[in-house]
Amino acid sequence: MNPDSPNVRKKRIIELDQALAHVKDGMTIGIGGFINSSHPMHVVRGLIKKGFKNLTVVGPASSGLEIDLLIAAGVAKKIIAPYVGGEALAPIGPAFRAAAERGLIEVFELDEAMYYAALRAAAQRVPFNPWRSGVGTSFPEMNPMIKSFKDPINGETLLAIPAVNIDVAFLHAAVSDYYGNVQYIGHGYGDRAIYAAADKTFVQVEKVVSNEEIRADPIKTAIPGADGIIRAPFGAHPYSSPGHYIEDKAHIKKYVQAATAWAKTNDFAPLQAYLDEFVLGPKDPIEYLERVGLRQLLTLNEY
Amino acid sequence: MNTITMQATRKEIMATVLARDLVDGEWVEVGANLPVPRAGVLLAHLLWGANMSVMVAMTKANVLNEPVIEEFELITDHRATRWAEAYYLHNDLVENMKFRHRGVFFAGALQIDPFGNSNLIGIGKDYKALKFRGPGAIGVCNATVMNSRFHLVVNSHDPRIFVPKCDFISALGWGQGGEDARTKLGLPGGGPRYVVTPLCVMDFEPGSKRMRLKSLHPGVDIEEVKKNTGFELIIPAKVPTTEPPSAEELKVLRERIDVQGALRQ
Repeated sequence: MNPDSPNVRKKRIIELDQALAHVKDGMTIGIGGFINSSHPMHVVRGLIKKGFKNLTVVGPASSGLEIDLLIAAGVAKKIIAPYVGGEALAPIGPAFRAAAERGLIEVFELDEAMYYAALRAAAQRVPFNPWRSGVGTSFPEMNPMIKSFKDPINGETLLAIPAVNIDVAFLHAAVSDYYGNVQYIGHGYGDRAIYAAADKTFVQVEKVVSNEEIRADPIKTAIPGADGIIRAPFGAHPYSSPGHYIEDKAHIKKYVQAATAWAKTNDFAPLQAYLDEFVLGPKDPIEYLERVGLRQLLTLNEY
Repeated sequence: MNTITMQATRKEIMATVLARDLVDGEWVEVGANLPVPRAGVLLAHLLWGANMSVMVAMTKANVLNEPVIEEFELITDHRATRWAEAYYLHNDLVENMKFRHRGVFFAGALQIDPFGNSNLIGIGKDYKALKFRGPGAIGVCNATVMNSRFHLVVNSHDPRIFVPKCDFISALGWGQGGEDARTKLGLPGGGPRYVVTPLCVMDFEPGSKRMRLKSLHPGVDIEEVKKNTGFELIIPAKVPTTEPPSAEELKVLRERIDVQGALRQ
């Protein structure tokens, strides 16, 4: 035993910038949540503010406008997601649509089952997972990384879905203790699969709770050991955080309007104004929340 | 106004067509912002499908005795979890396929061809230079293979949707045609059964598996359907009128399922 380094369990609470320091241009990052809920938005805004380039972004299986924002800000070069949009608020992500049509991003075309097959392959450290659905469709033609092959057991034609390994994953959840034991309110969408495919995972949480509180219901621990926990009350804003607040539809619509102007008329000014006000301008996440305003935030605490 | 005496709308008729295809004991998912399939599923569940498994917002939901089943605008609305008997982790839902052999699925599309192949990817001949980028395949490619059958449901019936050939196929229908179009590829599931539009119901002719007019909604004539379909439909000698909802079905639709009136707009 070394008396100079006592055997003490380390706390994993870190600052946003410490988490972002794990990202390098050109990396593959993962973003959790689902359409209009539970995206790690302090991280998303932080990635833009830091000016990362050429990121491959693995969105949630149904990605929301957080991925659209990363595209609009020029951070994402390649998108791995079966859907990008905001349901009724924007059936197709406006920046996703415009950037794909203009050749500004590459889309790794796949459906939800293929997406999870790709993450599972990474989690299992195998080069691919076989999948059946998609045989006879245009997927192998649209995405040459998806290959048709004859399975060596029964000789059937299947698709090989390549492993998608995530360098750094970012998630948003309800609570964690100091040690990175993360619990959700609700089911947590597909976040566990993103975590399983990632080399490192950093999780924003609404609240840091005691280890005793985690141990009161350990089956709820979805991420048993995140590499770092970022304190982030209201950190999924403008998206919802189950059990904490609902989505801020007015704010989301503000973004959609700006991104739609860029998509429809190639006028980037409204998007630039949105980025300046809410992403590049605020010096930190708390200032972002201040700009949104306490009165507005508190309206989201009620249905 | 007495909503029950108001004539059934096209959307209510579409929902009823979908409901009548569902059998007690089947597994169905109710998406958000898809009011027609949602209403169809719930109608079947409340009237004759008490043993159906109904998934609402990624939960296995018990809504059977709910007087009014509130409709949510977004699939992530946490209020839907008040009905949950179980949560489905999203990855489990699309990795575990055994339960889908009793499943029925509803798919939308940007383009549909005469064999029920469909496209959600985009419009354009060159994938690298799409004229219109669509939303993406979501879970449709897989769900249209692994479920016992599926229906294509579209909110408008026009020649831009019903095309001779899809630019891309993201969900396989009957391929190039023929009863063995899917089995020869090793695909389980019964493929597309109905195509339901605001004008009519179509199915697929046994043998050729080409799209065929099955019934016309009240007030629609054959010419209107022909004019709005970009390929030649098989038209039987006699085409019945789509059976509108009964008084009981309409009452349940309007008083328990669609109180907000999404189908009456």
